[in-house]
Amino acid sequence: MSDLAAQPSVEQAPLEGVIKGEVLRMYQEVADHPEQEFHFFHGREAAEMFGYEREWLERAPAGAVASFAGVGNPHLRSHLQPGETVLDLGSGAGLDSIIAGWQVGPTGHVLGVDLNPHMCAKAEAHAALAGGTMECRKGTMEDIPLPDASVDVIISNGVINLSFRKRRVIGELYRVLKAGGRVSIADIVSAKQLSQSIVNDPKLWAS
Amino acid sequence: MFTLFDHAGFKRVKSAVVPGFRFRKASTQDSAEAFGVKAVMMTALKPGEDSGP
Repeated sequence: MSDLAAQPSVEQAPLEGVIKGEVLRMYQEVADHPEQEFHFFHGREAAEMFGYEREWLERAPAGAVASFAGVGNPHLRSHLQPGETVLDLGSGAGLDSIIAGWQVGPTGHVLGVDLNPHMCAKAEAHAALAGGTMECRKGTMEDIPLPDASVDVIISNGVINLSFRKRRVIGELYRVLKAGGRVSIADIVSAKQLSQSIVNDPKLWAS
Repeated sequence: MFTLFDHAGFKRVKSAVVPGFRFRKASTQDSAEAFGVKAVMMTALKPGEDSGP
C-alpha cells in the first residue's frame, strides 16, 4: 500500500479496524493452512525466491518455513552481530526471528512483536524447536510494546505496508532503537497514488 | 516510505528493489505493475554519538 495511508482521516478509523481484522484473518490462514495457495508466494517457495540460505531452511522447523509470508530477505543487510538485541516487527510464525537468533547467538536477544497472540505462541514454539529462544509480545507496530532505546537492530518483512499510520510506525522504530541502531526491512511500496477504492478494500490490504 | 524515515530522523536511508518479487496470481501482478507496486529492501541508521551528520 502507498504512503497515501500514512495519516488516516477520522472517517477511516472504522475502516482501519476492519482492515486489521482482514489482515489478521489472512495471516492466520497462512499459518494454519500453509498447504493452501494464496495470491502471494509463501513458505519455502517464497523464501528461496528471496535468497534465504538453503541451510537456514533445512535447519528451521518445517512449520516456520511453511508459514513464511515475507516479501524479501531482511537478513541480507542486517549484519547482525553476536550479543545484539533484535526486534522482529510482525514476527509471524517466527522464521526471521529464528534466523536472527542464530546470528546473535546465546548472548543476544530476539524480541518479536505481533498483533496476533496465537502467532506469538507459534513463533516462540518454533524458536524453541530450533534450539533458540525468542520472546514475542502481542502488540501493534503503531505502539511497540518496548521501552525507548532498547534494541540494536530492527528487522521486518512485509509488515509496515499494512499500517494506516506509517508515520507513527516509523517514529516508533526510531524510539525503540538505541543510538547508532539500525533498521533492515523488506516491504511493499507503490510508485503511484492508489485510488480510494483500493485503499478502502480490506482484501487488497491483506494482499 | 523513504521520506517518512528521513523525517523521523534516520540517516543513511537506502533502498533496493527485491529481485524476483512477484505475486502468484497474474491478475494481482498485473494490477501491481499498473500501480508501480514493488517490494523493496530498506536500511536506515539511527544517529549515534559518533555517527556524524
